[in-house]
Amino acid sequence: MTTSLQGLLAGWITGQRWFAGKGRAIDDLSIDSEIEIVAGDPALLHLIVCVRQGERRTRYQIPVGLREHLPDRLGHVRIGACRRDDREVEVYDALHDSALTGHLLEGMAGDRRFDGLGFHLAHGAQIDTSQRSLVLTAEQSNTSLVYGDQYIFKLFRQLSPGVNPELEIITALADAGSAQVARPYGWIETELLGEPTTLAIMQEYLQNANEGWSMALTSVRDLYACPEDMPAQDAGGDFAGEARRLGLATAQVHRELARAFPTGTIEPPEIKRMTERFRRRLDKAVAEVPRLGEHAAVAAEAFDRLSDLGHEIPVQRVHGDYHLGQVMRTMTDWVVLDFEGEPGQPLAERRALDSPLRDVAGMLRSFDYAARHLLADRPDAESLENRAREWSERNRAAFLAGYSEGGGRIRGDDAVLLRALELSKAVYEVVYEARNRPSWLPIPIAAFR
Amino acid sequence: MSSTTPPPSHTQPSHTQPVPNTFTEEEPRDKYWYKRAVFYEVLIRGFADSNGDGTGDIRGLIEKLDYLQWLGIDCLWLLPLYESPLKDGGYDISDYMKILPDFGDLGDFVRLVDEAHKRGIRVIADLVMNHTSDQHPWFQASRHDPEGPYGDFYVWRDTDEEYKDARIIFIDTEASNWTFDPVRGQYYWHRFFHHQPDLNFENPAVQDAMMEVIRFWLDLGIDGFRLDAIPYLFEQEDTNCENLPATHAYLKRVRAEVDRIYPDRVLLAEANQWPADVVEYFGDPVTGGDECHMAFHFPLMPRIFMAVRRESRYPISEIMAQTPKIPENCQWGIFLRNHDELTLEMVTDEERDYMYSEYAKDPRMRANVGIRRRLATLLDNDRNQIELFTALLLSLPGSPVMYYGDEIGMGDNIWLGDRDGVRTPMQWTPDRNAGFSNCDPGRLYLPVIMDPIYGYQAINVEAQQKSASSLLHFTKRMIEIRKRHPVFGLGEFTELNSSNPSVLAFVRELGDDRVLCVNNLSRFPQPVELDLRRFEGSTPVECMGGVPFPPIGELPYLLTLPGHGFYWFTLPVTHRTAGTKEE
Repeated sequence: MTTSLQGLLAGWITGQRWFAGKGRAIDDLSIDSEIEIVAGDPALLHLIVCVRQGERRTRYQIPVGLREHLPDRLGHVRIGACRRDDREVEVYDALHDSALTGHLLEGMAGDRRFDGLGFHLAHGAQIDTSQRSLVLTAEQSNTSLVYGDQYIFKLFRQLSPGVNPELEIITALADAGSAQVARPYGWIETELLGEPTTLAIMQEYLQNANEGWSMALTSVRDLYACPEDMPAQDAGGDFAGEARRLGLATAQVHRELARAFPTGTIEPPEIKRMTERFRRRLDKAVAEVPRLGEHAAVAAEAFDRLSDLGHEIPVQRVHGDYHLGQVMRTMTDWVVLDFEGEPGQPLAERRALDSPLRDVAGMLRSFDYAARHLLADRPDAESLENRAREWSERNRAAFLAGYSEGGGRIRGDDAVLLRALELSKAVYEVVYEARNRPSWLPIPIAAFR
Repeated sequence: MSSTTPPPSHTQPSHTQPVPNTFTEEEPRDKYWYKRAVFYEVLIRGFADSNGDGTGDIRGLIEKLDYLQWLGIDCLWLLPLYESPLKDGGYDISDYMKILPDFGDLGDFVRLVDEAHKRGIRVIADLVMNHTSDQHPWFQASRHDPEGPYGDFYVWRDTDEEYKDARIIFIDTEASNWTFDPVRGQYYWHRFFHHQPDLNFENPAVQDAMMEVIRFWLDLGIDGFRLDAIPYLFEQEDTNCENLPATHAYLKRVRAEVDRIYPDRVLLAEANQWPADVVEYFGDPVTGGDECHMAFHFPLMPRIFMAVRRESRYPISEIMAQTPKIPENCQWGIFLRNHDELTLEMVTDEERDYMYSEYAKDPRMRANVGIRRRLATLLDNDRNQIELFTALLLSLPGSPVMYYGDEIGMGDNIWLGDRDGVRTPMQWTPDRNAGFSNCDPGRLYLPVIMDPIYGYQAINVEAQQKSASSLLHFTKRMIEIRKRHPVFGLGEFTELNSSNPSVLAFVRELGDDRVLCVNNLSRFPQPVELDLRRFEGSTPVECMGGVPFPPIGELPYLLTLPGHGFYWFTLPVTHRTAGTKEE
C-alpha cells in the first residue's frame, strides 16, 4: 500500500526552507489545484496545496515531477513514491529537473495556457528556450532558477491572492526604458480565491553582477585592517564613490516610479496619526527591550518634530524594503531588485503609496548595518567602533549626496521626516535583534545618538 | 607579394612551437609572432655598460642577451637610440640614420639584431615620426632657407593663430603650440616641447623621407617600431588635430610598404587614447587590420592598480567590457609599468568613465600611479601582490610588455628629477655599480639604487638566479607557462560570473586550449563560486604544479583563494557527450 500524494507532500513540506509553518503540526493538506503541464515520463504536474495548521490556512505552489525511475542526480529532491493511474511513480521537486523546467520557458515563450494556468511573454520580449536551468541555493520564501546565464525565474512558494507588486513595477519601469531594473521576460499567473495571482516571474539575469551588501562588506573589512590613523577616504577599499552612484540610481528609480504610477500627498493630520503609530511602536519596544529605554528620548524627540510638521508630504510608489541586499552592481550601473515590498505584509499594504524617504531611510540603516555587523563577534570591537562610525558616516553622506544630486528631494523639513523614518526603522530592528540575534543588538542601538 | 587577407594565425600548426630563431626576409616563419610574444622594454642607457664610461651601450646589451633568452623574452623594445641632443630622453632626434654615439654605432646595432635573432629574440625600437629635434639638419635648413628643399619640411606660419582647438600637451612648460623663430621670422608648430618642431606631413617629400628612414632600419634587420605620438602627424583647422583621417591614410601607406618588403615586422602604436579610439589605429577590420599591428592598451594598467586597491574587480571588468574587438591580425600591448609617467587623466573621458572621478579623488592613486614609481615600490614590496600583478599581466588579453628590472622587483629613486627615478642602472650583482659598469661610481649616468630594501645588494639578478624561490624565478616560470599555452596570446577572453566582487575570474579559449584564471584582488582569503557548467565533465589542472582539481559538475564550482592569490587552470576537453543530463 502506498501513501497518497497528499500524504507524501505533508511529510515533505515541513522540511522545506520556504515552509512558513515550521514547528506546528499540520492538521490537513489538500490539493486545491492540479494541472498537468507535461504528460508522459517524466511528467510535470503543477500543484497548489492548502495547508491547515489550526485556524491558519496557507497555500503553497509545488511543481512536481513524476518518473517511473528516479535517476541518482534527482535523489536529493525525492518526495516519495505513490500510485497514479495504476502505476507506481516517483514524485520529486520538478524545479531541480532541467529536463522539465525547459517546458516552463516554452510555455512563457508561447503565451500558452494550461487549464487555469496562464503563461505570459512580457511585452516586446523574446525567450531563448534552449537555456538549461539551475536552482539557486540559499533562498527563503521563493525558489529561483537561473536559465543559462540569461534569465532568472522566481517561483513564489507561499501564495496570497493578487498581482505581485514586483511584476507590476518592473513591467512599468522596463516599458519606460529604465536602466535601473532587470528587464522582465515573462510570468505565470492563475486565479486564486477569485483574484488573478502571480505565481512566478522571469527576469533578465544580471550577469557578472554583485550584491551591494557584499561589496560594502569588502570595503568595511579593508578599513578595519588599515592603520588606525588612516582616514577612511584614504583607505584602498573606499566605497563612497559607489555609495554616491547608488544614491543617483535610487533617485532615478524614485523619479521613474513617480512617473509610472499615481502619486499623492499626506496631510498633517495623517502625519500625526503616523507619528502616533511610531510612538506606540517605540513604547512597546522599550517595554520589551529595556536597554532601549535610555535612548528612547532621542527617538521620541524625532517623532515630536515630525508630528509638528505643518505641511503635507508627497507620497508615491516606493520600493518598500530597500537595503544593500536589494541592489546589484552590474558592469555599468546599480540595478534595483525585489520591488515586492516588505514580505509577510498584505499585498494592499505593500502597494500603498509612501514617502520615497522611507527607502532612503532603509538604505541609511543598511549602511549602518554594513559598518557594524562585522563587529558583532570581534574581540577588538571596541577599538574598531570609531572606524565603523567613520565608514557609516562617510558612506551615508555620499549616498545622500548622490540622491540629492540625482534629483531626489531632501530639503528643509524633509530631514525631519527622514530622521523619524530612520529611527522608526531602528526601533523595529531593536526588537527584531533582541528576539533573534542578541549579539547584534548594539547595531540598531547605535542609531539613537 | 603580400596577401591582404592572411589566414588567422591559429589555423597555422606552428603555434605550439617557440618563436623561430631564424628571421629572414625570404622565409618569414610566423607573421603573427607578436600576438604571442613577451616583450621586454629595455633602456640601453641603463642596462649594461661595456666600455666603462658609466652609460649603458649596445655592446653591453648584447652581453646580456643570454640572460633575456633564459628569462623567456621574445622581443626587446628599445627606447630611441638615434643621434639626439637628449633634451627629451632621445625623443628629440637630430639624425634618424645614426646611432647615439654614447650607445655605439650602426655596426653594433646590426650585431645586436643578429645576436638577438640567433637567440630567438626580436628587436623593435622607438621611432618618432611626428617631430624632430630643432638640431636636426632638416630644421636648420628649413629655418635658414625657406625656399630650399627643406623649406616646407615643418609647419611654418606667419601668425600663431591657427589650430586653436589643439590642446597643449606639456601644459607645464609650453604656453603655446606655436613658437616664433627669429631666424626665419615665422612661427613653427610643435605639439610637444618647443625644441621639437613638428614635421609637415602634408608635404609629400616629408612622407617620403620618413618612409626612407623606415626602410633604412628594416633593411638593417630591425623587427619593427613602436611609433611614438602618432595621433599628431597631421593638422586641420577646427579639429583638435588628433587622429585625423590623413594620419590614418599615411599609416596605411607605411603599413602597405612594410607588408610589401618586410612581411614579418611589426608596427606598435603609441596612442594614449581610449580603446574605442585606439582601435582606429589597427585599420580596416575587413583586411584583418591595415595600419598598426599592435597598440598599447593604456587604461588597463591604472585599473589593475585601482582594482587591487579597492579589492574589487569592477575597475578591470568594466574596462574589459568596454574594450572593443580588434581586427583579426592585431594585438593589444599591455603593461604594468614603463619608462614614462602615466596618468588616467590622459586616457579618460569623464562621460564614458566613472573611474575618472573615483580616481581623481583617491590620494594614493593620484600621488603614485600617476607618477614615476616601479611596480615593486608601488606595491610596497609585497611579494604576493607583485606575483598577482605579474599573473594578471601575463593572462589578460594582449601581449605583455615588461619593464626592465621589474622581474627582480627593482626599486626606484624618487629623489632623481623628472622620470629618471625609474631609469636607474639594472642591478646585476651585489658588486660595485651593481655590476652594471666598472666605472668610477661618480661617473654613472644615474646612481644605482642603494637603499636597504631595494638596493642592489639586496635585489640583483645574480642572487635571484641562485634562489629558486626568488621573484625572478617566479616570473620566468610564469612566462614559461604562458608560452606553453598559445591561448594566452591568441584566445578569446570571457569574464565569468563571479559570486564574489573581490574575485576576477575569466576563461581564455582557443579551440581545445582553455585556461581558467581566477584572481583574488583582496588582501584577505576569499571563496568564490563559479558557474562552469559550460565545461561540465572537465577536470581542471593547476598550471604551476599540474595538480588535478575536482571535476566540474553542474553545481557552482567552489574555490578558495589566499589573500592576493591566483590560480591558472587548464580545462582539458573531455570526450564525454554533452547529453549527461538525460539517462
